[in-house]
Amino acid sequence: MSGELQQLVPTMMPSAARALLKGVALPVASALVLGLVMQFVVGPAIGAYPASVALQVGISVMLAVSLNIVNGYTGQFSIGHAGFFAVGAYVGAGISYYAALSGIDPASGQQPSQALSNGAWLVWNDGQNFLFSYGEWRMILASIVGGCVAAGLGYIVGLPSLRLRGDYLAIVTLGFGEITRVLLTQTKPQIFDRDELAATHAKDWVIPPMGGATGFSDIPAYASLMWVWFFVAVMIFFAYRVKQSSTGRALLSIREDEIAARSMGVNITKYKVRAFVLAAGLAGLAGSLYAHTGQVIRPQEAGFQRSFEVIIFVVLGGMGSISGVVLAAIILSILPEALRDLSEYRLIVYALLLILMMIVRPKGLFGVREIWEFWPFTRAKKSEKKVITP
Amino acid sequence: MSDYLLDVRGIGISFGGLKACDGLTVQIPTGGLHGLIGPNGAGKTTAFNLITGVYRTQMGSVTLDGVKVDHLRPHEIAKAGLSRTFQNIRLFSELSVLDNVKLACHCRGRHTLLGTLLRTPRFVAQERAMTARAIEMLDVFSLQHLAGEQAKNLPYGDQRRLEICRALATEPKVLLLDEPAAGMNPSEKKALAQSIKLIREQFKLAVLLIEHDMGLVMDICEKITVLDHGCTIAHGTPSEIQNNPKVQEAYLGEPATA
Amino acid sequence: MAELLQIMVAVVAVGSLYALIALGYTMVYGILKFINFAHSDVFVLGAWVSLVLSVMIISALKLAPGSSPPLWIAPLVLIAAMVVCGLVGFAIERLAYKPLRKAPRLNVLITAIGVSLLLQNVGQLTGFAVAKDDDGKTIATVPFGPSPKRMPSLLPETAAPDPNLAKPLVLIQPVDVFIFVSAIVLMVGLQYLVFRTKFGAAMRAVSFNTETAALMGIRVDRVISVTFVTGAMLAAAAGFMYALKYPGLNQTAHETWVLLGLKAFVAAVVGGIGNVRGAVLGGFLIAFIEFMGMYCFSKYLDPVLHTNMGTNLRDVYVFAMLIFVLLVRPAGILGSQLKEKV
Repeated sequence: MSGELQQLVPTMMPSAARALLKGVALPVASALVLGLVMQFVVGPAIGAYPASVALQVGISVMLAVSLNIVNGYTGQFSIGHAGFFAVGAYVGAGISYYAALSGIDPASGQQPSQALSNGAWLVWNDGQNFLFSYGEWRMILASIVGGCVAAGLGYIVGLPSLRLRGDYLAIVTLGFGEITRVLLTQTKPQIFDRDELAATHAKDWVIPPMGGATGFSDIPAYASLMWVWFFVAVMIFFAYRVKQSSTGRALLSIREDEIAARSMGVNITKYKVRAFVLAAGLAGLAGSLYAHTGQVIRPQEAGFQRSFEVIIFVVLGGMGSISGVVLAAIILSILPEALRDLSEYRLIVYALLLILMMIVRPKGLFGVREIWEFWPFTRAKKSEKKVITP
Repeated sequence: MSDYLLDVRGIGISFGGLKACDGLTVQIPTGGLHGLIGPNGAGKTTAFNLITGVYRTQMGSVTLDGVKVDHLRPHEIAKAGLSRTFQNIRLFSELSVLDNVKLACHCRGRHTLLGTLLRTPRFVAQERAMTARAIEMLDVFSLQHLAGEQAKNLPYGDQRRLEICRALATEPKVLLLDEPAAGMNPSEKKALAQSIKLIREQFKLAVLLIEHDMGLVMDICEKITVLDHGCTIAHGTPSEIQNNPKVQEAYLGEPATA
Repeated sequence: MAELLQIMVAVVAVGSLYALIALGYTMVYGILKFINFAHSDVFVLGAWVSLVLSVMIISALKLAPGSSPPLWIAPLVLIAAMVVCGLVGFAIERLAYKPLRKAPRLNVLITAIGVSLLLQNVGQLTGFAVAKDDDGKTIATVPFGPSPKRMPSLLPETAAPDPNLAKPLVLIQPVDVFIFVSAIVLMVGLQYLVFRTKFGAAMRAVSFNTETAALMGIRVDRVISVTFVTGAMLAAAAGFMYALKYPGLNQTAHETWVLLGLKAFVAAVVGGIGNVRGAVLGGFLIAFIEFMGMYCFSKYLDPVLHTNMGTNLRDVYVFAMLIFVLLVRPAGILGSQLKEKV
């Protein structure tokens, strides 16, 4: 009786070339296309300031997509997502900044002190070193490390709290975010001088020099529209693939009915932790990219205000719907720019929207479904197709 | 080693001072069909929850095909080959019918995050296999035409059948059915009795059945255990049970049990 | 020794505040089984209402400069703040939570976050003036505006002892005594309400099983409303006392408030959420951990690390405590494990 499924598997194996093409080449290529279009078509077309907004919109989308994996698919409620974001930001920024400060920047061939003063670290912006500047690749590496550190923290935070009932996660994650903020304010002042940096010992890094409450500044701004939107696309691919897989079904089943999920053989703790760690890691990656967008990063990044903003994207867009969440993140990040005079009322309106949404449309605008599934024709076709597939 | 596929010996639990289940023993051979009956509140569902690990047994043991499972967690028990349905239907209501069944194939698969993200050949093959299996299972219950529908939109009877279908998709050795006929009309019940018999033949498994409908139970079960207030009050073949004075006593003045 | 005793004074005062707030969390959780995220904002509201009322009363009295305000103001403001917050608590429950009585808990949680955000941000709108000083400058507004303000002192203060004294003294401020006494009065009153009255029996019944309680003829909605109002009033009392003890109040959406509310919630969890006595126990325990943590870190770890962050990490100790409790005894010290019905 056992192993019927596993007996079927070898008979249905696709060719390796096909899998590589569809599994890796296609998403990377399309992400690259999106990145390039944003960099060279959209960016120049909309002008400098809107382009900087587009950078932040990309970051918001990444945060929303990652949180959606926990809050949307799995139905667990994390409200400290900004904590992971900030951890990623600080780790990524630390690596990039101190690596650059300790050596000559190969991109400009200048000493960092000179480079800092004439802004040559913003190599990307002079357009000459497209994809070939050493610093950019270092940023990618730093971002991956930042994501991994955030994911590791996600594991530490998630494991004790995800074994318990849902509400505890909410409170533990809120605590985590706030504690991260407090800890970041306790970091030592940033080191700006190369010789001073060279004179530090390992024990000076027990409490890292990340600028404390004043924030961490002068981070090389390698995260261009190209890179940010490249990663936006990659993350959307990831999120979609998770949703359309056995892992995703396991997550959704936890959200629908934990007891039934367990009885069907889903290790719910393992999957909750898995979702949480993945989301934390992606948030960390997003954080590191954010740090490289020319911002001064401050401990407040970890605070609850940012976490709540992301929650609003997810709840309003539809918990579980990737397209809904992306749309909500884009609209709600551009809107405040348009309504700058009313910024005082922005969060009030958000709060009212949250409350109203829960009463009127509790699953969010699109629920768990994607936008295109609401198109009457596609829906009919889809169910038809599903029957024929095997 | 016991000769029984499912060997439940003296399991019990008490909530506070209340003994919800006290020393229940049920033994089912391969291919057996065993009924568990009793008035409301007799502890039947509690017994199911103990066997499937939702509650931890405080005494006794559960052995499945020679493997002790009473200290495993519910998902491990499911993987060991014990699957169940629920008294109050617990489908994944927002998911499609197909996905409900595919989820049940989950415990027979291998799932890595990397495979999922990169869509490795193994991952793709496994997804295809799951779909194929799920369609096959739906076909057995003639639910195939509803595959794309959200589970919550199904009529009641179909939801009950989908739950059984989902339970079977985990490739169990023993199937536990908790009041599968609840809320069905006589002709639906008859069809259900037929399909339970059929399932047993086709999938070669043992069935433990909780049911209030005496006709159904007497008709299809080979052995019956009667519970009242957590205790086993009778055990035997349908005809033995029908003539047992203790059983009649337990059911007297319980009009709501039919 | 005197140093430790001085810490104990702070533990008792701050612990009373935590306990009062934790009671509100635990009561609502006991009955509706969800975390009322907006609870800490009701506490903040209580603090700010106390500030505005005190400023209004003092400016209306036109006291001679330098003279201390009469003692009757404190209890009056306390009661007024409790009434205002009680009404707000009632409104929140009726408008936001009641429509979701049958909804999944996640939705209620999101609504609670919404209410919390709403209170925070409405609270720091630029308000209209309700009190002006002699020069016609606005000194109090409703809502409370986007910047910190200072609570006038309503109780006399003991002068700090001479630090050069050979034998250091333990300083107990009247405000500490006031906090402790009124907190004890309120907690005893709540104990009486919950365990000795018919209404308390109804509350416990609803907490145990809402449906059965309704079938027994208990008016569940009324019980829930009263629970919310009681919780809000206790939070308001805590807010008033907090404002007396720490007069510099931050604007309502400031992070410090979130951490305060979080710590009170931790107190409820540590004591055993849903358990009224547990909340009180948890409140004092959390305050103890917090202050001892600061003391020990500053004394033993800071010199080793060459840092000066012992006091800045006060929230970290409490949070570590929460993680520890969740790992070791998830139901809290006095709590009982809940079983979900299948």
